[in-house]
Amino acid sequence: MNVIDLLILIIVVTILVTIALGVMTYIAYKLRTARKPARPDDDMEGARYFVLHKPPLDAPEPTEADAS
Amino acid sequence: MPSAFRRALISILITAGVVGGTAMFIFWAVNSPLQVQRFLIRLVMISLIIFLAILFLRYFALLWFGYLQHSEKTVRGGSTSSFMPPVTVIVPAYNESEVIDDAIEALLGLDYPVYEVIIVDDGSTDSTVTRARQWEGRHGNADVRVFTKANGGKATALNSGIAQSKYPFVLCMDADSAIEPQTLRVVMPHFEDPSVGAVAGNVKVVNRDHWLARLQALEYIEGLNMPRRAQGFIGAVNIVPGPVGVFRLEALHEVGGYDVDTFAEDADLTLKLITSGWKIIYEDSAITWTQGPTSLVDLIQQRYRWTRGILQAIRKRKGILLRPFPDLPLWLSAMEMAFEGIVWPVLNVYAHLFFAIVALLYGMGELLLYWWVLLTLLDLVVALITVSMEEEELSLVPYAVVYRFFFILFLDVTKTLAAVEEAFNLGMDWGKLRRISLTQGAGDRR
Repeated sequence: MNVIDLLILIIVVTILVTIALGVMTYIAYKLRTARKPARPDDDMEGARYFVLHKPPLDAPEPTEADAS
Repeated sequence: MPSAFRRALISILITAGVVGGTAMFIFWAVNSPLQVQRFLIRLVMISLIIFLAILFLRYFALLWFGYLQHSEKTVRGGSTSSFMPPVTVIVPAYNESEVIDDAIEALLGLDYPVYEVIIVDDGSTDSTVTRARQWEGRHGNADVRVFTKANGGKATALNSGIAQSKYPFVLCMDADSAIEPQTLRVVMPHFEDPSVGAVAGNVKVVNRDHWLARLQALEYIEGLNMPRRAQGFIGAVNIVPGPVGVFRLEALHEVGGYDVDTFAEDADLTLKLITSGWKIIYEDSAITWTQGPTSLVDLIQQRYRWTRGILQAIRKRKGILLRPFPDLPLWLSAMEMAFEGIVWPVLNVYAHLFFAIVALLYGMGELLLYWWVLLTLLDLVVALITVSMEEEELSLVPYAVVYRFFFILFLDVTKTLAAVEEAFNLGMDWGKLRRISLTQGAGDRR
């Protein structure tokens, strides 16, 4: 095998291994996410992204004094 | 089966289906009559030329406009403006106990006459609030205030900070970032122009003692800051980055602050500002140092979120992509985001895989070798130019050898899978990266 063939082999193997590594890392990330304990609000209907904090209806309105 | 894993499986199956279809087509082509094979070889050559042409054109345009921006700034020199209105710095923090002290300490060192620092604790479960509260009060030119709220995501934390802001300009940043002292002094003169709604800063990777972080340091210079510089020249900056962005409060109020329905709130807000007619400026001297992930899984987690967030921001305004006029800068910004977010990563992965397989099956390996040599030379030259422009470490340049064929390809795999998930509207969650102390990763750079 000459140098050119060796280089070609290295490039092809690098490309294929990198793509495989990318897919494997993506799966590892997903597995890590799946293993995390679900928050109580994760299954709320329609909560695709964030669940906004909604204070209870009887909560007092914040005053200027509270804010500062 | 857990939903995150099920979504990954769906995404991989869809992608594998496309790749498998291509492999079957190639297998059929290899066994087809000679005439068909000749036609296909020509097709491969033409595809390769088109791919390279797009790549070169993109690089040339970015380099040229980036160079013009750099020259214009060099000729014009530094600003002598005395426009220094008071500024509010907002730091959203969720479980940032490792870095919050360093972040506040760096902010108190800002070289600026009057400013306040607002720490918004987004329902942390660690000691973030306790640590932050120790800094409350007056420190030289700055007031530090700390607010805490129920966990609702970064966008809601930033909105809370904006609501509490006393001053007409707001600097939004990340708690894992450290801003350089001159930042506000170089940014604020841009706001003398009343049409400027925001100024994007220059983000750099701080923890360069790890090979993966060094590759990201090069990527930030070559892949993020160079395009932003070019966009700055043509007036089409499309992302005011989360780690350093200064906004006119009036503009934020006009567009309603940050939306909470995307995972790239910075890209989303920038598009909202451009849509409302505000001008966005890029200031390369407004430098902030941020941490790059040092594990492959953390890096993938970060890029997955960026990709889906950017696609969500575009999805909200997909009509813009079809209307280049009357607002050309907005159309250019959205097109560039779509190209970088979905078209280029998919094309890149597909091209690598396709050409590798074709090289093996058709004995066109030499073509692949020339392709690699050409692109690596191009990356080295671009790295050298951009590193020089940014007055960065020259030792980053050799990383360009593995930049495209390993680093970018590796990231583009995730971007492709994330784009497939977004296209099929599969759910996602935010994810929190592990932090290390800023001073621990900084060495002597800050």
